[in-house]
Amino acid sequence: MDLEIQQRVKDIAEKFGPENVVVILGGSEAESAGLSAETVTAGDPTFAGPLAGVALGLRVYHVVEDEVKNEFDPAVYDEQCGMMEMVLDVDAIKSEVGNIRKQYTKFND
Amino acid sequence: MMKVVHYINQFFGQIGGEEKADITPQLHEGVVGPGMALKNAFKGEADIVATIICGDSYFAEHQEEATKTILDMIKKYNPDVFVAGPAFNAGRYGTACGAVCKAVKEALNIPVVTGMYIENPGVDLYKKDAYIVLTKNSAVGMREAVPKMAKLALKLAKGEPMGSPQEEGYIPRGIRKNYIADERGSKRAVDMLVKKVNGEKFETEFEMPSFDRVAPNPPVKDITKAKIALVTSGGIVPKGNPDRIESSSASKFGKYDIDGVYDLTEATYETAHGGYDPTYANADADRVLPVDVLRDLEKEGKIGSLHRYYYATVGNGTAVASAKKFGAAIAKELIADGVDAVILTST
Repeated sequence: MDLEIQQRVKDIAEKFGPENVVVILGGSEAESAGLSAETVTAGDPTFAGPLAGVALGLRVYHVVEDEVKNEFDPAVYDEQCGMMEMVLDVDAIKSEVGNIRKQYTKFND
Repeated sequence: MMKVVHYINQFFGQIGGEEKADITPQLHEGVVGPGMALKNAFKGEADIVATIICGDSYFAEHQEEATKTILDMIKKYNPDVFVAGPAFNAGRYGTACGAVCKAVKEALNIPVVTGMYIENPGVDLYKKDAYIVLTKNSAVGMREAVPKMAKLALKLAKGEPMGSPQEEGYIPRGIRKNYIADERGSKRAVDMLVKKVNGEKFETEFEMPSFDRVAPNPPVKDITKAKIALVTSGGIVPKGNPDRIESSSASKFGKYDIDGVYDLTEATYETAHGGYDPTYANADADRVLPVDVLRDLEKEGKIGSLHRYYYATVGNGTAVASAKKFGAAIAKELIADGVDAVILTST
């Protein structure tokens, strides 16, 4: 996750309180989605950005995960995400982001 | 508790990216960026007392000055071990980590550890001078690299014996240690051969360096009109070696004017090379750099002309990365000077 976005996530979490923030990811690979998820929960694993050593523990989901997908109007979801859902390795993304969330989020709903 | 000083670049120091790469060395008490992970990995056995941050471009362009400043910063903390990076595949960062490690080891006699991806140019240049932990090619590998670097750093700080590169995860430094093997050499060699024949995996006991291949250029169209230059890694220099080219592990090359020179004599030229018996090269340097023969060919019209300058370095133990750098710089000048072809001579 690039440094600018890390800073924005950090600012938003400070402004609204981490309990009021949900991060939705759209990364196309399991590994990069997992790294982004880790960055907003346990802190930047590369220790290069503003979230290095900052464990925000935010709620984080990938847009293809059912918890998020079910909240959409199916027609809108299909139009916006349907195509990508077909070409992505959805299972790998779900498992990677889900694992990170289980380990590091501070807000278990 | 043991003391550690940590070196990182402007990016990992969270100062900025390329636009901040020209910052001068800065000293921070305690940890910054990846130092947090490193400190955790020390598990209370060591503490990072200071972090030095330097811009990659600044270091590359002012190496001598930057090294001196950084050494002065480190000195007052008198650390038990010095850690740089990891630099992953960042070339200037890796080179800076290696150069600083080398200086710290040599000037302050403090053990040093850094981390790089195998293709980082810093590896070839400094693997003999520092323990370089093998990392992935991007910062994604931080999680894996840090515990290995921390383990090595603690070991060095405590003065414990160092295991082999395979055991410890660092890049081989070219150091050989004798040991008594369980089986004799012939048996081990045959076992290896059988595995190789069967297409199984085996581990060599003597790793050969791997070299890249250079595709040849198309042939010179008309050699009788071509401007030919001489370039040598055989160390031929004007008597007295004015540029002080090292006899091994050369850090530079020289450019020498041979306008009006028809023969290299014992009185005027010699070799700086330390890797072969210099007697015959010193007696007649044309044996390595054939200026005399090329002057004859020039006179006979068999070549167009001999370029006014020749280039020389010493190939003995010189890092492939340095050689590549010299080659690129020399080629650039030769092209600018309108040279059509080059004769390369070694020893």
